[in-house]
Amino acid sequence: MKSSIHLSDSVKALLRPGVVLLAVAAVAAFVLGGVSLATSGRIESIAAEKLSASMQAVLPADGYEDLGIEDNGEVEAAYAASNGGWVVQTTESGSQGLVTMLVGVDGSYACTGVSILDSSETAGLGAIAGQASEKGEAFRAQFVGQTAVVAVTKDGGEIDAITGATITSRAVCAGVTAALEYCAAIEPDGSVPQPLSDAG
Amino acid sequence: MLASLVSISLGAILVNNFIFSQFLGLCPFLGVSGKMSTATGMSVAVIFVMTLASAICWVINTYLLIPLGLKFMQTVAYILVIAVLVQLVEMFLRKAIPSLYTAMGIFLPLITTNCAVLGVVLLNTQNNYNFLESVVYGFTGGVGFALAIILFASIRERLAFADYPKAFEGFAICLVAAALFALAFMGFSGMKIM
Amino acid sequence: MNRKQQFAEGTITNNPVLVQQIGLCATMAISTTLFNGIGMGLSVLIILTCCNVVISLIRKIIPGQVRLAIFVVVIAGFVTIVDLLLQAFVPALSESLGVFIPLIVVNCIIIGRAEAFSSKHDVKDSFFDGVFQGVGYTLVLIAMCLIRELLGSGTIGGGLLNGASGFITLDGTGAGIRIFSDTYAAGALVLPFGGFLTLGVLMALLQHILSKSAARKAAKEKEVSD
Repeated sequence: MKSSIHLSDSVKALLRPGVVLLAVAAVAAFVLGGVSLATSGRIESIAAEKLSASMQAVLPADGYEDLGIEDNGEVEAAYAASNGGWVVQTTESGSQGLVTMLVGVDGSYACTGVSILDSSETAGLGAIAGQASEKGEAFRAQFVGQTAVVAVTKDGGEIDAITGATITSRAVCAGVTAALEYCAAIEPDGSVPQPLSDAG
Repeated sequence: MLASLVSISLGAILVNNFIFSQFLGLCPFLGVSGKMSTATGMSVAVIFVMTLASAICWVINTYLLIPLGLKFMQTVAYILVIAVLVQLVEMFLRKAIPSLYTAMGIFLPLITTNCAVLGVVLLNTQNNYNFLESVVYGFTGGVGFALAIILFASIRERLAFADYPKAFEGFAICLVAAALFALAFMGFSGMKIM
Repeated sequence: MNRKQQFAEGTITNNPVLVQQIGLCATMAISTTLFNGIGMGLSVLIILTCCNVVISLIRKIIPGQVRLAIFVVVIAGFVTIVDLLLQAFVPALSESLGVFIPLIVVNCIIIGRAEAFSSKHDVKDSFFDGVFQGVGYTLVLIAMCLIRELLGSGTIGGGLLNGASGFITLDGTGAGIRIFSDTYAAGALVLPFGGFLTLGVLMALLQHILSKSAARKAAKEKEVSD
């Protein structure tokens, strides 16, 4: 902005704010680094704990082996359970954002349970799908034993949607359907299919 | 690829409209929707900054913060980028396109604290959008903001002649009107590209 | 500075949400359960108080040209700290507030108080300003949550209280205490629509009360002068 003739003055005028800003940012970065270092272990272990607890909830087993499949935007991950079933992580779009869930599938390709890992659905409506409340449990229990395409009653299926949250209910149905389809494609010899890359 | 971009756009403009469904950017929404002309000026400025911020923050996050293991600095870095960007845009416009600068000049500084801008950048990161998706989300999010604020400005111009209880004067009646808008936008929920 | 007056300003007469009309986004977005409301309110209170103190401490060395940038860095720093701590110790809250925790950075309350108050006052006053404004914000959030939750889903204390055992839970799983069957609840109130409507009505209510008390005061003064 200023010509370089009054170098010392203009440099000084520009330098001081810059230096102060930089110093504040550096202090902030330093403090944040410390806090991040102190909390990262705990945050990671909470996430891992939550995943393994959810896995136990949908398909109890002694161990799970990550099949290392490629995330296609719908089927995100799959694990082979030690007792012959699978746990599949799927993501669908709900009414407010993405709904990520774990679906348990047993050796005879029937759903053994579903657990919502992450969602931002409306509290009191769509959020019920993932809650430990009576209504939430009842909603998720409907998926146990399902084998083919799962849909809400409005779409001609068997699942009673959560009142006022048809869209969230549909998302969970779609996630379970995708997981069942994926498991059905697993070969008898155990070779793992990669999920189709174009999953709508 | 195209389907996902269309679905992102549709989501940002209608289904998950930044204002009526995600509650982002309410302060400028209520602040400058009093007159149609100011609403339009603000909209243009927001679309512009949101698109640019999405692009720049994506680059910084992908090529700087993640490789260096500085993910915890995301919020700090993003807000600084937005603040600097707004400043640069202001300086550039003043020199290059003075007419546009006078049109949207006073709204530019306000954008730094517009939570829709920081919101779009954070949501890009949260949803793991790639570069193109981020830019499209930023642009269409801005368009959604513009749609909401322009629609609302036309309602507010009429509110001036409406007869309502005195206690509702000012922002209160605007919020009630916005509530009806939110109800109308709920009609879009669940709309999807198959 | 008179603490009593400062308290009344923060909570009622200059309430950040209902009177200054700032920080509206998060107020409407997350006020669906008491758990969210109290969590968000306390987070803002802590961040606001810390920022007020730090900015007041360094107010003499902040150069005018980059003052907003410095405020923003300080605020973003504290927000990130609170965000990380919540993720580590109250993960349920961090999950249910989601993107609205980092968005506290642009919550106009905090940058507004920095610009209007703490950059001009000493540390002690700034500290109390942060606490009182934070309390004012939390009170509005709690009011919004109680109204929306009770009328919208028929419960009180969702996420925080567990109706069956009656105990406070901190993992956000409590279903709340049921007041009436959700068959009769107006579900729309927990949707975005209800957020706008509830805040609009609350704002009108406070305006009504304030104008009534102002009228009464004026009438009294008139009596005295007569």
